[in-house]
Amino acid sequence: MNIQQGFLQRNKAVVIFALIALTMPFWFPLLGGYSGLDTKIMIFCIFVVGFDLLLGYTGYLSFGHAAFFGIAAYTTGLMLKDFSAQIIPAIMVAVLVSTLVAVIIGLLTLKRTGIYFSILTLAFAEMFHSMAMAMLQEWTGGENGLTGMPTPMLAGIKMQGDAVFYLVTLVAIIMFYIAKRIERSPVGLMMRAIKCNQQRLEYTGINARKYKLLTFVISAMYAGLAGALMVVYEPFVGHEFLGWHQSGEIVIMSVIGGVGTLVGPMLGAGFMLYFENVLSVDLGEQWLLVLGFIFMAVVIFMPGGFMEALSRLYKRIKQE
Amino acid sequence: MPILDIHQVSLNFGGLKALQNVNLKIEEGTTHALIGPNGAGKSTLLNVLTGMLEPNDGSVMFDGKPLLNVKPHDINQLGIAKVFQTPAVFPEMTVLENVTIPVFAARDGSFRMNMFESSSHQRPLIEFAEEQICELGLKDKLHVRADSLSRGDKRRLEMAICLAHKPRLLLLDEPTAGMARHETEQTIELLNNLQDGITKVIVEHDMNVVFSLSEKISVLAQGQIIAEGSPDDIKGHPKVIEAYLGEAQV
Repeated sequence: MNIQQGFLQRNKAVVIFALIALTMPFWFPLLGGYSGLDTKIMIFCIFVVGFDLLLGYTGYLSFGHAAFFGIAAYTTGLMLKDFSAQIIPAIMVAVLVSTLVAVIIGLLTLKRTGIYFSILTLAFAEMFHSMAMAMLQEWTGGENGLTGMPTPMLAGIKMQGDAVFYLVTLVAIIMFYIAKRIERSPVGLMMRAIKCNQQRLEYTGINARKYKLLTFVISAMYAGLAGALMVVYEPFVGHEFLGWHQSGEIVIMSVIGGVGTLVGPMLGAGFMLYFENVLSVDLGEQWLLVLGFIFMAVVIFMPGGFMEALSRLYKRIKQE
Repeated sequence: MPILDIHQVSLNFGGLKALQNVNLKIEEGTTHALIGPNGAGKSTLLNVLTGMLEPNDGSVMFDGKPLLNVKPHDINQLGIAKVFQTPAVFPEMTVLENVTIPVFAARDGSFRMNMFESSSHQRPLIEFAEEQICELGLKDKLHVRADSLSRGDKRRLEMAICLAHKPRLLLLDEPTAGMARHETEQTIELLNNLQDGITKVIVEHDMNVVFSLSEKISVLAQGQIIAEGSPDDIKGHPKVIEAYLGEAQV
C-alpha cells in the first residue's frame, strides 16, 4: 500500500524467480536433472502461469488448454519449415493464431460455468486433436508428427542448448512479471470477483462476460507462447501436444502447486517434470501410480497445494 | 417527471401471468414500498428493473432512458443498484476490496480497466472506498474477509458496495428478511440515514419496516397493482385487506 516501496520490494517474487531460474544450469544437474529439462520446465512455467490466471483467479477450469499450446506449436513448426528459420515471426504468428482460436472458443464456451465449461473446452481440444490426426494430416504429419524443421535461428544465433535455455528463461521471467502486474491491477481484482460472485459483479456495473473472455484469451496467449517455444526448444511437434493428456497435466501441475498463487503452479510444473523425467527412472513404469497418490494426498490433505504447505511451515517457524 | 416510469408492463412465465399491465411511477427522492402477498410479482418486477427478466410487453423508463433490453451491468452504470434478499457480497475478498470494485466500476465503466496499473496505488479511489465503509460503520473491519462478517455487517457491506457507485435509485429486495429484531431496527436506521436524494424502492413483508420507511406504498396482488397511496391510505384499504386475508384463507 506504500507508494514509496521500491521496484525490488514490489517485485520480490519476480526477482527471486529470476535468480532461481537463471542459476538453474548450475544447480539443476546436482539434483540429477539433465540439461534441456530445465528449458522444458521454464516453458511449462509460462504455460501454467497463464493457466493460473484463468483457473486460480476467475475459477474457470479449462480442460482444453492443450489446444492453444498445440495449435501454436504446429503453427511455429510450419512457419519454421515453410517460411523462415527465424523464430520471431514464427512465434508471433503462432501466438496470434492461438489467440484468435481462443477468442472463438471463449465466446462459445464461457456461456457455461463449472463442469459444462470444462467439458466444452475438452471437446474443442479433442476436435483439434482429431483434425490434426486426420483432416490436416498433410500439414501436421498426423501420427508421426511434424518434423523436418531447420535449426531455429534468432537473428544470427542458432537456437540450441544454452541459447534456448536463456531465451526461454528470459521470456518466462517477463511473462511472470506481466502476470504479477495483472494480478495487482483492477483487472486482477475483477478476475477474483468473477470467482467470488459473478451476479454481484454484474450488478456492480461490470461486464463480467468480457472480463472472463479477456482472461481466457490471455491464458491462451501464455499457452500459445509456451507451445511456440516448445518447438524452438525441440524442432518437433507431436499430436500429443494437442491431446487431453497435455491439458490434464497442466491442471495437475496447477493443483499440486496451489492455484491462485501464480508461484504455486510453477512449483507444480517443476516438480511434475522433475518427477516424470528424473525420479521416474528409479520407479519405472509405476511412476504414474505414485504421482496419482501424491495428487490425491495433496487434494485431500492440502487443497492449497505446495503453497499451502509452505505457508503452514512458515507460520510454524515464525511461532517458535 | 418521475425518475422511474413503468408503463403497462406484462410478463408471463408460460401460462402464469406474473405481471399484468403494471403501471407505476416513482418520484425522485422518495422511498416507495412494494408490498403484497407471496407470489404477487414483487420480486419479478424488481428483476425486470435490473435487466434480469425481459417483460413480454410494456416499457420502463429511467430518467427518460429506456431500460428494456439493457444488460444488468449497463443498468447499474445508469445509476440503479440492487440490494439482494440474501446479502450479495464478494465472500473471499476483504471488505476494502469489496468496495474497491464499484469504485473502479464508477471510474472506468463496465470494461475499460487498465491491466497494468497497480490498484493499491490509486490513493484517492481507495480513500473514497474507505470513507464509504466507515460511513456504514465497518471502519474496524476494513481488512476482514467478507465471509467472516455477521449477517448484519454483510448487509452493511452490500449497502456500501451499492452506494460507492453513487446510485440514483436503490432497489431493496426484502432487506430485513431473516433478521433478528435489533438487526431489523439497525437496517431501518441505516436506510433512513442514507444520503439524501437517493430514490428507494423497497420490497418488504415486514409491515413495521414498510410503515417506518416509506412515503408511498403500492400493493401488488396476482401481478396487478391493486392499491396505491400513503401509508395511512393503505392501512385501512379494503382491497388490501382482502388480498392478504384471501391468501390466509387458502
